[in-house]
Amino acid sequence: MITSNAMCRGEPGKRELPRSILLSLSLTLSLIAPFASAQIESFSAVSDEMLNSPASGEWLSWRGTPAAWGYSPLDQINTENVGQLQLKWSFALDDTGAIQAAPLIHDGIMFIPSARGVIQALDAVTGDLLWEYRPAPPTEEFINSGAGTRAAVLPAGAFAGVGRGVQKNIALYGEMIYASTETASIRAIDARSGLLVWETQVADPTLGYFYTAGPIIANGTLVTGITGCDRYKDDVCFITGHDPATGEEKWRTSTVARPEDPGGDTWGDLPLRFRAGSDAWVAGSYDPQANLIYWGTAQAKPWARAVRGTDGDALYTNSTLALNPDNGEMAWYFQHIPGETQDMDEVFENILVDIDGRKSLFKMGKLGILWQLDRETGQFIKGTDIGYQNIVNLDPITGQITYRDGMIPRIGEELNMCPSTSGVKSWRAMAYSPDTSAMYIPITLNCELATFGPTERQLGGGGAGPVRRVNYHHPQSDGNLGEILALDIPSGEVKWRYRSRAPFNTAALTTAGGLVFAGDWNRTMSALDANNGELLWQVRLATSNQGFPISYSVNGKQYIAMPVGTGGASWSGSLPRELAPELSRPRNGSSINVFALPD
Amino acid sequence: MGNCMARLKLVAALSAAVCALGVSYAQGGTVWDGVYSSEQAERGEAVYKGACIACHGQDLGGNSNSPGLVGMGFMFLWEGRTLGAFFEKIREEMPTDRPGQLPAQDYVDVVAYIMQANSFPVGDNELPYDAEILDGIAIAPKS
Ligand code: HEC
Repeated sequence: MITSNAMCRGEPGKRELPRSILLSLSLTLSLIAPFASAQIESFSAVSDEMLNSPASGEWLSWRGTPAAWGYSPLDQINTENVGQLQLKWSFALDDTGAIQAAPLIHDGIMFIPSARGVIQALDAVTGDLLWEYRPAPPTEEFINSGAGTRAAVLPAGAFAGVGRGVQKNIALYGEMIYASTETASIRAIDARSGLLVWETQVADPTLGYFYTAGPIIANGTLVTGITGCDRYKDDVCFITGHDPATGEEKWRTSTVARPEDPGGDTWGDLPLRFRAGSDAWVAGSYDPQANLIYWGTAQAKPWARAVRGTDGDALYTNSTLALNPDNGEMAWYFQHIPGETQDMDEVFENILVDIDGRKSLFKMGKLGILWQLDRETGQFIKGTDIGYQNIVNLDPITGQITYRDGMIPRIGEELNMCPSTSGVKSWRAMAYSPDTSAMYIPITLNCELATFGPTERQLGGGGAGPVRRVNYHHPQSDGNLGEILALDIPSGEVKWRYRSRAPFNTAALTTAGGLVFAGDWNRTMSALDANNGELLWQVRLATSNQGFPISYSVNGKQYIAMPVGTGGASWSGSLPRELAPELSRPRNGSSINVFALPD
Repeated sequence: MGNCMARLKLVAALSAAVCALGVSYAQGGTVWDGVYSSEQAERGEAVYKGACIACHGQDLGGNSNSPGLVGMGFMFLWEGRTLGAFFEKIREEMPTDRPGQLPAQDYVDVVAYIMQANSFPVGDNELPYDAEILDGIAIAPKS
């Protein structure tokens, strides 16, 4: 068993913590033990080799492998028999916050993050709970310090149902589960016992910092990207690398060019404190051969150029960064939308695929442009505009973006833009299938009349900036809010589209069985034929499908797991309410649902 | 126009009739006339801490998902509309995870707290739970 000594083995963290945070941490520690239920004996330590090329039945990284395909090489469940899928087990997840879970599978155990730091280990065959890590609620003192509120910690009285505290993914390495928290710390939890081994405060939550993306492991370094960088402060957004044994910070790379740095002039003459945004709120990918991690950054804040006070490119916002995981040095960057100006994020997943021997990286942001970059050099190879946006033109040769006439917002002037700030694509990761050489992309269809407004340019001010908005149906949508789009790679040609009234609300999962799985806001989980988009199987679950479906096998049997839950993105409540008002869903019911063929 | 359309979507409590007549109820009052009391704002602060703070923040400044409820952002979004429209937005849609489900009085109290946070002057009377009166109070810059 883990002793209390082992629990204290971690470094206390590099920075001085506000007293209130220390208090809440020590309370956390003291409350853990009673919740840990069992010691897992059958767990083997996870090595770099296992992470980089996992056994076919395992799911060791949030998108399956460090290349983030979202693809399972299992084919027991296939286009012929998928119609026979049946529920094997379901397990209720924490309903006190938002769920966008990406479960992991190792040695027949499912490790699943749910709201507000809760992590559970389940028997992946039976759904039995093996252990549970549940941090203590924040103390009254912590809340009154102001830390929790900007960091989205909830006052004790408001626990039930409030949609915050997302932790999308966790990482598995050695004998540890790694998580990043809504209070800007990272945690190592013993994978066998569920006990906290160390917790390191990475940033000060009173400044607004928090995490929604979990860490990844790259060449023995634990890497995480922070978010909550929208308010003006004397600091900028960053990605950090840590020693997995202790949590000690090895490096910190700013995702914003500081005034004195190369590229510093791309923010005009704005001082550091007015360079906000570039949040790194989606976990990156890793190429072990190149020893580079690929991490996306979000737009600059405030969203509109006119509000943030510079027409400059604002490096390194809305970029893909290639970093050396050993020291955080930037090998290259590619800025997808220089000087982005209406909340069109490019922060999302990086899918690493080799095309005709060319090591490539594929990515799609809110505008619905599929980017192909050379992942060794960062060079632009190809861009495919899927045709749902009316904001920019893309030069197909250089990859340069230019704004269409009148599409750069001015304060107080209404703009008619597609997509809305929900984006054509968001965190709902696309999946790649090597069998069909295609990307399967969860799409949200809608447009918006948007009027951008000013913010206070002072410390603590800033933020995204106010927007008056009226959402409306996309003219090409036939009233549908959701689509799975299959794009051939690298041609970018449309293979098929599958539409639904409700927006798709999960990542896509592809399998060697020729299937694509995804779920929608209206509780429906679907299996489509990857070749032609034919609907092969559907089931309705407790509430909105939300998160990252996975596939795994134990003892030769293949399973498909779908997380459902609510909370998180702002529009996931308002868009369906405004544009598909006949749909409704329960506000609770967060769960993980596991399917397989009959025994 | 936007106000009226938004309101037409609403059900029951604040009925379409009020909307149609809204203009004629307007009494020329504004948020600068001392329209809430400090006790009410205090009650509203407790409501805010329990039901709103997690998304809109301790300083009411909001974040990338939830709009700020104070300062330039508030005036940009609400100037030229009425306290009635503001109240209805909150009563109908907030908190987003369980809209409309606080006691009616809590909703007016939290509006009072937001008024105070925006430095609109305090007065002797409470903001009432009364659509006609709320509709008669304009959100306007200081004249
Ligand atoms: C779970 C998160 C959440 C909670 C809790 C919440 N809100 Fe909101 N609120 C939002 C989001 C997201 C929006 C923007 C989308 C929309 O307008 O529906 C919003 C919008 C608003 C707006 C409109 C902003 C504008 O000017 O357009 C007001 C006013 C508001 N909230 C007040 C409140 C009050 C008062 C409470 C507490 C009773 C509350 N909210 C609780 C998330 C929340």
